Parts: sequence; C-alpha cells; structure tokens
Amino acid sequence: MADEQIPILDVRGEICPYPMLKTNEALDGDHKGVVTIDILTDHPPALSTVPPQAMKRGYEIEIDELGAGEWRMRLSKI
Amino acid sequence: MTTDSLSIENSKPNALRPISGQTYAGLTVVALSLLTAYFISRTNGDVAAIWVLSNLFGLTLQRSRFCFASAFRDLFLFGSGHNMKGIIIGMGISTIGFAAIMHWIIPNPGAGFLPAEAHILPVGLSVVVGGVLFGVGMVIAGGCVSGSLYRMAEGYVASWVAIIGVIIGLGALTLTWNWWWAFSISNEPKVWLPSVGSLGYTGAIVITLLGLVAIYLLVTFMEYKNGLFMPHINKKIIPALNFDGRVRATLDPVFKRGWPIAIGGVVLGILGIIMYTIHMPLGVTGELMRASQLGLGWMGVDVPVLDGLSTLGGCTGRSGEPGLLGHTFAITVGLLPGALIGALFAGEFKLRLPTQKRRYVQSITGGVMMGYASGLAVGCTIGAFFSAVPSLSLSGWVFGLAMAAGAFTGTQVIKRIG
Repeated sequence: MADEQIPILDVRGEICPYPMLKTNEALDGDHKGVVTIDILTDHPPALSTVPPQAMKRGYEIEIDELGAGEWRMRLSKI
Repeated sequence: MTTDSLSIENSKPNALRPISGQTYAGLTVVALSLLTAYFISRTNGDVAAIWVLSNLFGLTLQRSRFCFASAFRDLFLFGSGHNMKGIIIGMGISTIGFAAIMHWIIPNPGAGFLPAEAHILPVGLSVVVGGVLFGVGMVIAGGCVSGSLYRMAEGYVASWVAIIGVIIGLGALTLTWNWWWAFSISNEPKVWLPSVGSLGYTGAIVITLLGLVAIYLLVTFMEYKNGLFMPHINKKIIPALNFDGRVRATLDPVFKRGWPIAIGGVVLGILGIIMYTIHMPLGVTGELMRASQLGLGWMGVDVPVLDGLSTLGGCTGRSGEPGLLGHTFAITVGLLPGALIGALFAGEFKLRLPTQKRRYVQSITGGVMMGYASGLAVGCTIGAFFSAVPSLSLSGWVFGLAMAAGAFTGTQVIKRIG
C-alpha cells in the first residue's frame, strides 16, 4: 500500500525519445512484470508517448501533476 | 485501481485554485508581445501581422506538442504515428488554401512562371543530402529547428544549445554554398506539379491529397502492426458546480491541457494559409541564417555573396533582406513569446537542464547537422516540407522521404548512445 514500496523511474531532465525508451527498457527489463511503477517526468510530450507503450504492455495509466512542469505517471498492471 | 484506463484530472476540479504566478507572467508576456506588434505596426503593418500570427504559431506548436522529429523518429522507434498524422492533416488543409492562392497568382500553370513566394525548391542532390542530414540531426538533437525554437521558450536548455548548433551549421553552409551551387544546385530543376505535363491545378491537388491519404494509411498500418493505439482518455465527469469551476472548464481545454494533435495540424494548416496571403508561407530558418551571417561578420569572416540563393525562394533566400525587424525576424522570433505564453498558462514553464552531459553533445552535434542541412535544402521541416508539399512542389516530397531515411539512421545512432 505504502508509496515507498512502489518503484520509481525518474526520467526528469530527459527529452524525447528517452522518457519512453527508458520506460520501455524498465518494463521489458529490470522491472519486468512489476505490478505498479511510478514514472517521473518534466517533459510534457512524454504524457502522450509513454501511455500507448505502457498499455501495449498491459498497464493502465494515471497521471498526476506534481507541480510546475512535473508529472507522475503511475502505471498499474491491468 | 480505477476502471479508467487513463485519467488526467486534478484531484479537486471544483476547488478554487489560486491564479498562479506563471499565469500572471503569461499575461505579462501577452501584453509585451502585443506592445511589440504595435511598435512594429507603426513602420510595417504586414510585419506586425506576421508577428501576431507567429505568436499563434508558437502557441499552437507548444499546446499540441507538435514535433516533426518525433513524427519521423517514433515511426521507426515505436511504430507510433501520433505526430505524423497531425502533420499530414495540416499539410492537407494547407494544400487547398495554397492552391487557391497560387491559382490567383498564376491562373495558367503551363505558362512557364512559378508563383513567386511559394516554396517550390530545387530537386536534386541538395535536397536529398539536406534531407538525410537533417533527419539524422533532428533525431540526435531531440527536436527539429521549429521544435527546438519553441522548447527554448519552454525552458529547455538543451534546445538553446541545439539552436546555437543550427546557427553554426548555417554559417558553415554559408561558407560552402557557392561550391554546392556550382556543383549541383544551379542545375537542379524546380518541379512544380501543376506545370508538369497536363496535370494542371486539379491533377496536382489530387496527386498531393492522394499521396497524403496514402501516407496516413501507411502510418495507421504501422501502428496496427506494432499493436499501438492512442488510449482513449476516460475523463471522470464531475459537474462544474461553482462559477470558478465553470470558467476553468471553458479555459482548461485550450490553455491547460494539451491539444489533440489533429487540432494542432488544422490550426497550423490554416495559419500557413493566412501567412501566405500576407506574404509568404511559414519558414523559420531564414532569421537563423541571418544570425549566422551576422556572427560570421563579427568574427571578421568575409560573408561571400551567395550565388543564386535569392532566386530560389524559400525562407533562407529571404535572409539577405535588410533591416532588423523584417519578415524572417517576425516569423522566427515571434514564435518564442507564443510558445512561452502557452507554457506559462499551462503552468509548464520550467528551466530544464539535461542530467547527462552527453545530451549537450547530442544537441550541439544534431544542431550543426540541421543547420547545414536546412541551408542546403533551403529550409527545414517547416519551410522545405510543411510549406513545400502544399506549394505543390516535388521538392517537399523528396525532402520528406530523405528525412525519413535520415531519421531511421538517427534512431540507430541514439539506440546506441542510450
């Protein structure tokens, strides 16, 4: 339940295509099969490029704005 | 776990949100930009109009996150055609408007004249080499020239570096242009589809639109093969109960949430048409070319007279125009406050520094490649592609295909960089 247990992939400071490249790498590699993972980004285009990639791998996405120009995408296994 | 596949919602949409500092800053930029337009209008009304239109151009790029680099790259990297579809829609709309304007200038396309301001550029080695080099450069830099320009305004430091690279690349091109001109460009034909055979305007429009539809279908097929689809955004419907909520419900789709890419394409297509009725189609490289030539002058380098460039049209051909506040200035620099306004109203402005040093190297290298290439091809993704295809010019298609080849090569490079 606690947020601390949810792994975080921090791709802040990265621009396209790295936010989704790294998300894909994580979902296909180190975090393969993870139930929930948080992706942190400050690159707005990532909000429309990461979700299709995550959905393809069976995740649903919830996006929260953390502050000026930063977002958290929470991917959860459907 | 919610049943929504994707939700982008504020936790309390009806709560009174305080007006943020970024919103006030955005209003200030709007006021300053309009003031600038007013001062420009006292000497040149057309340039003032272009300034305001370019503000809208920058705003549209920022709001719809229009990205040519992503359009080409993501097809190869992820099988995603998200941005490419927006570009195709925009070019389709511009094609209709451009054809009407060109028909008004040149009623008989077979008479041997070309509509002067249309982006009908030479077809040959220059556009192929330029397109491939540009495609590689924009993928390595993470954005094309227009993309880097609007990201400069959003606070991306790497984009500043990329634009500096573009200016350096244009300087290198300036010093080698006369060689290219003698070697190839002077012999390259400008192929304007309406004047080919008995095509006329009707044939040229039909071919162009069919070509765009074919690419749209191809892109859709690539998405299907990759099992990709844009997720439908399920919004939690919460009635806007109070006045504040109702006002925000009206403003948020425009100023807070990103625009659908198709809307971005439609608006850019229409802006291109309006821009052409005032003077010339969209193009952003001309002013950067001027900046690079000024820079060469300051360094004491003799800027050669560029053979034939002014006969080519396109945006770099305009860079020789005298005066600071010219058309190219209004288009290129006017884009910046527009994108800044978009970022500020959305609360997205942030100074973003790359975490890895090698991103700076990528930005400057990609920038130099794009600069050299856009000089060689007489335009970038905007001038030599987005404005050239609707000009019914064969060069736009060749540049696009060459960029695709370059972008494919670029994706192989960045996969290795990591």
